[in-house]
Formats: sequence, C-alpha cells, structure tokens
Amino acid sequence: MVHALSEIRRVLVPDGILIDLRPLADRWRVEVTSVRELKRTGHVTDLPEQTNGDIASNEAMREVERLGWFMREQDEMFPFTYSWDTPSEMEEFVNDDWQDFIDLDDDTKRATRAAWAVADGDSRVRIRMNVWIASWRKQTPEAEHTP
Amino acid sequence: MSLQRDSDRNEIKFLRKFVDLKDKRVLEVGCGEGRLTWQYVNETQTTLAVDLDRDALRVARVDCPSGFVDKVQYVCADSIHLPLAKEKFDIAVLAWSL
Repeated sequence: MVHALSEIRRVLVPDGILIDLRPLADRWRVEVTSVRELKRTGHVTDLPEQTNGDIASNEAMREVERLGWFMREQDEMFPFTYSWDTPSEMEEFVNDDWQDFIDLDDDTKRATRAAWAVADGDSRVRIRMNVWIASWRKQTPEAEHTP
Repeated sequence: MSLQRDSDRNEIKFLRKFVDLKDKRVLEVGCGEGRLTWQYVNETQTTLAVDLDRDALRVARVDCPSGFVDKVQYVCADSIHLPLAKEKFDIAVLAWSL
C-alpha cells in the first residue's frame, strides 16, 4: 500500500490532494425500510480480511504521514447503503460478492425475513455501512523542490 | 437484481464537500465499473480512471454515458506501477481501493 501511495504522490502536482474513500469494518446494520418505517433487524459479522484490511490501510496512511509525504487536512464518516427488494437478494449478494469480508448470521437472516414479510409493500432490505473520507495534501520536502 | 447503491448520493456529496473538482485533472484509482467516476467527471478538466480489473473496465467503457467520453480515459494498471509522467494530476481519488 505504501508503494501505491508513493506512486500516487509521484503523479500529483505539488500541493495536490489525495482523497481516501473507503468503507470501514464496523458491524454494518441490517435494516428493513419503507417510506413509513425503519426496522433494525441485526448486523453483519466482520470477517478477518475486512478488519485486517482496515488496519493495513490505516497503518499505510500513518506511515506516509510519518514520512512527510502527505498531511491530513480533514476527515469525516458518512452512511452508505446497499439495498435490495428482498432478503434473499441481499443474502445472495453477500454470498457472491462479499463472502471474504462479511457474514450474515442466522439470527439476522431470520429477523430480516420476518420483518420484511410483514412490512409495507414498498419495503426494501438494506445494509447500512459507514464510509470514511479523508483528504490529504501532498507535502514536498525542500530538497525535492525544483527551481 | 434490484440492488441500489447509495440512494441518498452521500458519496458524491461528501466528495464535493472535501474537494473542488472543477476544471481539475483527476486520477481515480480503483474506478471499477465507473459508478463514482460518472458522478463527477463532467466537472473535471480530464479524468484518468485506473483499475486492475479488465472486466470492470470493459463495463465502464461500454456503459460510459456518451456525453462524458471526451472527459474520461480508462487505463488498466496496477497502482504500484502507474504508467504516468510525474506531477500530472491535481487530485487523486482512492475509490474504495486502499
């Protein structure tokens, strides 16, 4: 990761901005929603690849800050949702696309199906994750400045 | 499938809150199928969208809205060896790829 950040720094102009945008492992909520109501039905289980990925990414950013390559200017978290018409579509997506990163336990699956079965006609199921955004400004040590 | 991502469009709202993309030269690393790219590319001077996944890039090229094709270029590359000259971009976006 530090190699990639080195490459990005190389192609950025002096004082250029790096935006780091990524979801954080945080036992994302599972919900059934409609225009009228929102019901929390459980949460996902973070698998080691997901949590270890966050740790490695954070360490890489700390390292490039320590090296004086980038300086963090601001950061914030915001909600980001994936939603489906039915619980089975959600389960299929998690199994196919996220099987290395998160899992859905049986209690959450059962609660989601039960809530969706009695919910309003416009109901959807969704996973609500937290996405982190941070801006970093490229730092150029004096010795690297070209006249 | 009925999948909807980010129906509140928070991702582009926060990206715009954090950085002024207008007339900037933007590098997006990890563009995938262009989901985020198309939401901001029209504001930029140019955008180079990079990903290592050839299949995703193929989708991004095919599905790219016709009005944006002059603004965005897609390149298959690994972020640890970017085939680019130095100091070419004002902004780099790591899109779910660090």
